[in-house]
This record gives sequence, C-alpha cells and structure tokens, in this order.
Amino acid sequence: MVDAVFLALSVLTIGSAIVALEIRSLIYGSIALMITLSGIAGFFLLLDAPFVAMFQLSVYVGSVAVLILFTVMLVRRELIFNKIEDKRRRYAGIGLMLALMLGIGMIIIGSGIKSMETNSPTVDYQKIGKDFLTYYSPALIVMALILAASVIGALALARREDITNDQRVN
Amino acid sequence: MSTIAPQFRFSRFVGSLFDIIFWILLLFSLIGLPIVFIILFYIKMPLVNHQLLTPYLAMTWMADPSRTLPIIKTLLHTTFFHVVAFPGFGFAALLAAATIFIERKFLAKIQLRVGPLYCGKVEGILQLMGDGLKLISKEIIIPAKADKPIFWVGPLLFLGTAAAFVSLIPVAPGWVVANPSVGLLAVFATIGFFPIITVLTAWAANNKWTFIGGLRALHQMIAFEIPLILSLLSIVILTGTLNLSQIVESQQHYWWIIFAPISAIVFFICIIAELERVPFDLPEAESEIVAGWLTEFSGMMYGLIQLGTYLKLYAFAGLFTVLFLGGWNGPSVWPPLSPDLITNGITIGPITAKIAGLPLFDQEMLNGTLWFVIKTVGVILVILLPRGVFPRIRIDMLLHTGWYKLIGLAFINIFIALGLLYAGVLGPGGLIQ
Repeated sequence: MVDAVFLALSVLTIGSAIVALEIRSLIYGSIALMITLSGIAGFFLLLDAPFVAMFQLSVYVGSVAVLILFTVMLVRRELIFNKIEDKRRRYAGIGLMLALMLGIGMIIIGSGIKSMETNSPTVDYQKIGKDFLTYYSPALIVMALILAASVIGALALARREDITNDQRVN
Repeated sequence: MSTIAPQFRFSRFVGSLFDIIFWILLLFSLIGLPIVFIILFYIKMPLVNHQLLTPYLAMTWMADPSRTLPIIKTLLHTTFFHVVAFPGFGFAALLAAATIFIERKFLAKIQLRVGPLYCGKVEGILQLMGDGLKLISKEIIIPAKADKPIFWVGPLLFLGTAAAFVSLIPVAPGWVVANPSVGLLAVFATIGFFPIITVLTAWAANNKWTFIGGLRALHQMIAFEIPLILSLLSIVILTGTLNLSQIVESQQHYWWIIFAPISAIVFFICIIAELERVPFDLPEAESEIVAGWLTEFSGMMYGLIQLGTYLKLYAFAGLFTVLFLGGWNGPSVWPPLSPDLITNGITIGPITAKIAGLPLFDQEMLNGTLWFVIKTVGVILVILLPRGVFPRIRIDMLLHTGWYKLIGLAFINIFIALGLLYAGVLGPGGLIQ
C-alpha cells in the first residue's frame, strides 16, 4: 500500500516538476510547482512526520507559491525572464542533473543506509520543540538573527518617502 | 397523430421497452455484477453480531428491526458516514443552508425590512429551495476568452478545500472526521489554499473586475492570515497541544476566552476578513466592482462557491467555538435515556414489536452536539451581525488593521499566556487545572 502511494507521489512530484520547468504558460508552471511542493508534503506524511508536512503545506504552498503567482501575474514576462533557446544548454543541464543524482546516490548508498525501519513511532512535535530550546538553541538563535536581519533588510529596501496626499490621511 | 413522432406505433413502443430491459439485464449481468463483486472483494465488511456482513445477509436482516439496528449502529461508526453525514459534509451543509436563510431574515429585521416573504407562505421558508432550483436550472456560461481548465476547476477546488476544513472540526467527543495530532497546523495549511484558488479563478475569468477582486482577496487574506495564526498561538501555549479534541477537553472547567480575550477578539476580526464579509467585503464589493472575483460565475458554479463560502463560515465559527468557547463542553441538559429503553426497547404499533438497543447515540454525544450547535450558531449570528450595521472600509485601512494593529494585539496575548504559564497558574502542571 505504502509502495503504491510512494510511487504515485513520486510520479506526481517529479512529473509536475518537469511540467513546471517545461511548460510555456507561467501560470500553469506555478500551479505545477504548487503540486510539486504538495507532493513533497505527501512524502513527509508517508515518513510519519505530519508536523513537517503541515508546515510544508502552509509555508511553501500557502505563502511561497502565492508570492510566485503574484509576481508572475503582476510583472511582465520580459522583465522576469530573458529566455535563451539553446539545445546544447538543455542537454548540458540534463547531463549535469544525471551526474549530480549519480553522485548523491553513490554517497547515500555508500553511507550504509540501505534499509529503513518502518515501524518507528511518529515524530513528536513536542520533542522537536524541546530539542530546539535545549540542545539546538544556538542554531535557533542564529536562525532567528538571520530571519530578523532579512526582514530588516527587506524593510530598508522597500522603504520609500511617500508623497503626502492630504486627501488620503487618516 | 402527434407531430413529434409521426411514425408512432404502440407495438414499436412496447418492443422498444423490452429492448431496453434486455440491454439493462445483459449489461448488468456482464458488467455490473462483476464490478460489484470486485468492489466487495476489496471492501472490509464489518462484523455484526459475530457474523460477517455480506449483502445477502443484510437483505435478510432488513425484515427484522432488531437485527437491522446493529447494522445501522455499525454504519454510524464508519468513516463513510462520518465524512458524508454527521460531523462532516451533510451536517455542515445543513447548517450552512440554514445560515443563508437566517442571514436574509436576520438582516431584514435589523434594517426594518421584511426579507423573503412569499415563497412557502410562512415567512418565506421555501425561499432557499427556490434559489437552489434556480441556480441548478440556470445555464453555465463560460467567458469566451477565459482560461477554461482553471475556470472549471476553481469552484470545485474551493468547495473541496472548505469541506477539508470542515472535516477537522470536532463536534462531539469522538465525533470528528479527521483527528490528526497536529490539527491546528492542518487548519492553517487548509486556510492557505483559499487565496491561491481565489486569485487563480479570478485570473482565469479574464475580466478586469474579477482580477481586481482577486487581487484584493489575496492582499486581504495574506494580511489577516498572520494575526490569525499568531492569535491562536496563545491557546497552544496554554494547552500544550495542537490536537483540536484535546484543546476542547482542556476546557472542561473554564473557557479559554477568559484568559485569552484579546486573542479571541483578534481571531474574530480575522475570521470576518478571511470570510470576506462586511466590513471587509472588498473582494466582492458589489457597488464598486460588480461582484468581485465571482463576477463571471453563473448557475451552479456560483452555487458551489456560495456553498463553499458558507461551509467555510460554519467551519470558522466551529473553530472559534472549539478554541475559545469550550466546544462540546456544557452542563448536561439532555434528558437521560431510560434504561428500560436500552434493554427492552420501545413498543411500536398494534403488534407491539419490542426493539432493544434503540438509542443510536449515547447521551454524552447528544448533549455535546447540542452545546456545540448552540455555541456555533451564536458565533455565526455574531459574524452575520456587522453586515446589517457597518459600511465597507477602505483597502488601506484594512491592510493597516491587519499588518499593524492585529499583529501587535496578538503578540500582547501571547505574552500574557507566557506569563500565566511561567507563573505556574495555567498550562500543563499549573495551579488551575
């Protein structure tokens, strides 16, 4: 059963990822990207990690994909992309991907992870929280600082002096 | 002689009837029966009275009520029944339909109007049925330059997402369709799909009004999603769980609205904004942009979106009840079921057939459902109320409310909750349990 679901999810995820890259229409491309991200959430559900799956859905599908959709809809296509049609680039890309996959696969197979424990209990989100606040607290602090810095940076970049309009003052 | 069928002969008519019967029998025995058997092979049949329930046994048991009741009781606890009827779609759709009618009468009374009056003689109670028939019988018009696949799928996706949201709401102890350990996160994940569907359908209709409405909806939903999530964090801090049923169980003695009133207010405002209701109905502002992102929908496609909207309204009101108003908890007001009824059953008719084991639901479930419905209907009425009172606000005021004020207020209640937790008053292992 899990194998069938895994296969279906894999086909869905990889297929829609290819569609997202190859399709002409940008809107359909971003929809395919959403399906890819949802498929990854499905993988997390299969791995008994509903916490991560729900965050994948709410952050990547709910926010990031919406931002991509928003950008695609509002900005003209020529401003986002400067598309270069080139056969050699495409084949080089496919070759690079194959080489990377082979390399990563060799590393994973060589690392000794060959079997998977299927009956392990569900990942407890409370344990994740405890670990984050105790053992991994430096990582949490660094992440918080990076996020705060990026938010401040975004605010500084987006800031502009508005022309005051007397009619629109609250 | 009729002009529609000039070559009509009665013998041919009878012959064609026999022809149809022959084909039905042939197709059923060749295709229908094998399909039924293949399905029966894969479906896990329940054990009733220590006997595996086969369709033939079920047919014989239909004649005897005392043997039919266990089958019904088994059916009531299947996932199918949960999804289709009671805590799931049927129950929610019934409440949603009632909401549509009550909204019209309620607003009419607020504004000193009459509201629906003629359909069904008594205060227009059949108005809803008439509207439904009208929507079903209307033609579905697709704009010529619309993006057809997305335009067709949009209403279905909207209704499906709303139904997925409904499935997470626990109605009575144990009566919930989906009970994941991360229920609240599942709610956030489900809510996140609405802006995508809205903006995609708005874009697909290829109309400036729908697109303006869709962009407004996107702005509004994204701006109010963040305070919505933040306002619920204080509840998570106080209960220490994300499971909605456990959150209800933690409110046996007091409701969380007592300790998190600011969160409740912020959450309520966010609900109104997410539901696109007055005073935040900018995406559908009918006096500015025709009907916003719903402009191009006609017939049953519009009906599906309306149904989805009201399912979403029920689900949000139910979520408010579950998180802040104690869900199914309440004093036991349902009259106790007499033991005589359970053991001996009731007597029906002149023949006095005694049917044992009749109450299909226990008292706890009925009581819980009653309290849940009362509280949810109350919340729904409070959500409907501003529509009769307030005007629509400007989009810059709306975004200012969402991004500045509500996020700040939500943080205040998070700090209150943290203070209560660290002072040892509330929460896991606190003074008040």
